[in-house]
Amino acid sequence: MRTKLAVFLAGLALVALAVPAMAHHAVGAEYDASKVVKLTGTVSKVEWTNPHARIYFDVTQDGKTTTWNVELAARSALVRQGWTANSVKIGETVTVEGSLARSGVAGVNARSVILADGKRVFGGGQD
Amino acid sequence: MRRLLVVCAMTAAMLPLLVQSASTQAGPEAGKVQAARRAGPPKGAVPRLPDGTVNLMDGVWVGGGPVQDMESQGGLKKGEMDALMLPWAKALMATRDETQEPHNACLPMGVPRVTPFPYRFVQNYTHRKPTHLFILHEGNIHSYRQIFMDGRKHPAELDSSWYGHSIGSWEKDTLVIDTVGYNDKFWFDRRGHPHTEQLHTIERWTRLNLGQMENKFTLDDPGAYTRPIVFTFMATLMPPEDELLEYICQENNQYGAATIPGYKGPQMGKDPLK
Repeated sequence: MRTKLAVFLAGLALVALAVPAMAHHAVGAEYDASKVVKLTGTVSKVEWTNPHARIYFDVTQDGKTTTWNVELAARSALVRQGWTANSVKIGETVTVEGSLARSGVAGVNARSVILADGKRVFGGGQD
Repeated sequence: MRRLLVVCAMTAAMLPLLVQSASTQAGPEAGKVQAARRAGPPKGAVPRLPDGTVNLMDGVWVGGGPVQDMESQGGLKKGEMDALMLPWAKALMATRDETQEPHNACLPMGVPRVTPFPYRFVQNYTHRKPTHLFILHEGNIHSYRQIFMDGRKHPAELDSSWYGHSIGSWEKDTLVIDTVGYNDKFWFDRRGHPHTEQLHTIERWTRLNLGQMENKFTLDDPGAYTRPIVFTFMATLMPPEDELLEYICQENNQYGAATIPGYKGPQMGKDPLK
C-alpha cells in the first residue's frame, strides 16, 4: 500500500511539473522545475510588463543581500486573473517559491508569491 | 487496486485544474475574465450580420492553431506530418531546439500559429461591400493580418513577408483565406516544423456554433513537404468580459540570454547558421 501511495504521489508530482508547459514560451528551457527554492525578502521593484511581469526582491542570507529576479506570468494573463501593478508594492515582504534559472543567476520562475499576511498573489510563472 | 488506480488517474487529471484554481481564486474582483473562461465556450446559435453573413466579430477568440506541436494539435497521427517532410526539412528540424524559436525573441508567429492570447476579426466596409478583413492578435507579438476581401488576386510577384499576401472570400458559411508570399523565417510550432517561401496556405474558418469555430488548414509547400497536408484546429470564443489588451513583447523580454547556458538566439529560415 505504501508503495502504491508513493507511486501515486510521484505521478501527481509529474503532472504538476507538466503544468508550466502551457506557458507562451518554453519555460522549462530557462528554469529547472526540479530545483525549487523558497525565499523571503523585500520587494525593490515591480515591472508590470509583457511578455512577463516581474518583481525584484532583496533576500538576505548569511549576512549577504542578493536581489532576485522573479518571473511571473504575462501581464496580459495576470490582468485577466484580476491582478494589478499594485497587487504587490515596493517595500513589502514576500515569500516566493519558484524554479531556479538554469544558468545559475539569481532568478526564478514563480510558482507562488505570498505576502506577509499569508495572502497569495499572482498565478505561477506560466500563463 | 483497480479502484485506487482510477482515483489516482482522476486526481492526476484534475490537478492542473486545481493548480489553476488555487492560483486564481485569491484574485481580486476584476478576475472576471478568468472565471468566465472556466465556464467553457458560450453556447448558442451562429450569429449573423444583417446581410446573412456569419458574424465573426462579436468577440475575441483563442486557439484555432498550433503552439507546441502542429502534428498532434492539428489532428494528425503521430509521425504522419513528419513522414511527409523532405529530407532537408527533416534534417533542419533535427538541429532545432525550442529555445531557438524566433517567437521567443518577440518576432512574429506567422500562420497558422496561435498563442494563449486572444485575437479579433475586424471587417472594413465601404458603403457597398467588405474591402478588408483584419485579424488583430494581442500577442505574442502584437500584430495584425490583412486579408483582402474585394476580389483581387495575388500579385504575380511578391516580396516575402511574415504573414504573406492574403485574399479572402466566403464559400457559403465558411471564410476561406488563401495566402502566399511568406518568408521562411517562422516556425509552425515549438518543435520547429519548417517551411520555405513556396508555402501556400488555405484556411477554412467555419463557425460551428456560438462558442466554437473550426479552422481547417491546408499546408501546401512543395519546397519542404511531399504533398499538401490538411489539419483541423478549433478556436473558442472568449466571454464578453474579455477584450484585447496591449501586449508589447519587446518591452521587457528577458528570454534566454541570462537564464539559458549557451543560449544561441533565434534560428530562422532554411540555413541553420542564419
